[in-house]
Amino acid sequence: MPDTLHPDPDQLATWLQATSRGDAAAFRALYDAISPKLFGYALRILGKRELAEEALQDGFVAIWNGAAGYQRHLAAPMTWMTTIVRNKSLDLLRRCAHDLDIDGPVFDAEIMAALQDPRATPIDALLISHDAKALALCMSLLEGAHRQVVGLAFFHDLSHSEVAQQMAIPIGTVKTWIRRSLERLKTCLVKGERA
Amino acid sequence: MNIRDNPQLCDKLAAEYVLGTLRGGARRRFERYLRDDVVLQRLTAEWQERLMPMAEFTGAQTPRAQVWRAIERRLGLGQAQKRVQQRAHAAWQFWRTESLTFWRSLSLVSLAAALLMVGVLRSTLVEAPQVDLVATLIDDKARTALLLTADSERRVFTARLVENAPVAADKSLQLWAVPKEGAPRSLGVIPPEGAIELPLTGSAIGDDIATLAVSLEPRGGSPGAGGPTGPILYKGNWVRML
Repeated sequence: MPDTLHPDPDQLATWLQATSRGDAAAFRALYDAISPKLFGYALRILGKRELAEEALQDGFVAIWNGAAGYQRHLAAPMTWMTTIVRNKSLDLLRRCAHDLDIDGPVFDAEIMAALQDPRATPIDALLISHDAKALALCMSLLEGAHRQVVGLAFFHDLSHSEVAQQMAIPIGTVKTWIRRSLERLKTCLVKGERA
Repeated sequence: MNIRDNPQLCDKLAAEYVLGTLRGGARRRFERYLRDDVVLQRLTAEWQERLMPMAEFTGAQTPRAQVWRAIERRLGLGQAQKRVQQRAHAAWQFWRTESLTFWRSLSLVSLAAALLMVGVLRSTLVEAPQVDLVATLIDDKARTALLLTADSERRVFTARLVENAPVAADKSLQLWAVPKEGAPRSLGVIPPEGAIELPLTGSAIGDDIATLAVSLEPRGGSPGAGGPTGPILYKGNWVRML
């Protein structure tokens, strides 16, 4: 079955390579294939459509300009491009932080609830890739509060102390939870690969 | 503190760097290490592979059509043909298209080779010149081919072929300084005997130099005024000796 929602990494890498040679058609194909996912992500970080669109633009301009430097042995194409759009989104978030009123806790509750039992339904409804499903499964095995700490840090670019403030827990606890959660995710993902 | 001796700490820092909780001075220090530490680069890449899929938890949303149009406008993709032409740099602008990693590895190789060569020179020459700038130009297999040693006090430098690379009788090797912008500047033609002393001018050591290169030219040097006409055989960069 052709997987239009999750383009094959080899296909993405081929388009990226053509992009690095200035092939505008390949770049367009790349954009069509992955912009919805990246836009959905930018929108969650920034909360406002206009800003998320700006981040997506900045991201794709950087992808075009940086395609020649992309190194397949270091990162999967999707990881590389997601990291670029994430950084552009976070840049904008920092620049506009005072104007934004991001509804962090509500958003987290929504996603994090979906993660509590990814086999139930919501994760499938999100139409995510194999990698994301594996990660979702591993995150569902974390304690709820730990999962929320990790999610707050990742999606809202919160520091240890900001997470502590948001959740009204001591900063030492936040640090411990994050460290343990990352260790558990690492172990869990390794097991998933072997399974 | 040297984090590199502590693999567990490296892994923890890489994880928190990707998650975003590594902040301030610690983040800047980490990024500094990351620039040339392949182990840290790998650990960071692994954490990106692990954590970036979280981005998909948010679900996909199709952006409005105007976003693509704006990207096209910013990159001038409407004039696709022009773009392709712009990207097709002249052959001697090889350094524009090669990856950063290549240049990093090149500079490391060059530095190691330069240090070695200077050691050899200093120990073998009776009247050692006050060499304070060195460049080793290497071939595509990273073998040192040409050694430049400069004495900025006397404002001269010597170019010396390291091994007798055979050059056909009707060909010459020509040395160039390739600037970041504009055409390469010829520094001189290497004579058949393989060594030459040349004046050390701003053309040879300017801050704008992206790389030094040697091209294979018709005997006597490039007939064109605009730069090399033949293939680039060797390249490298100046290293300042302390």
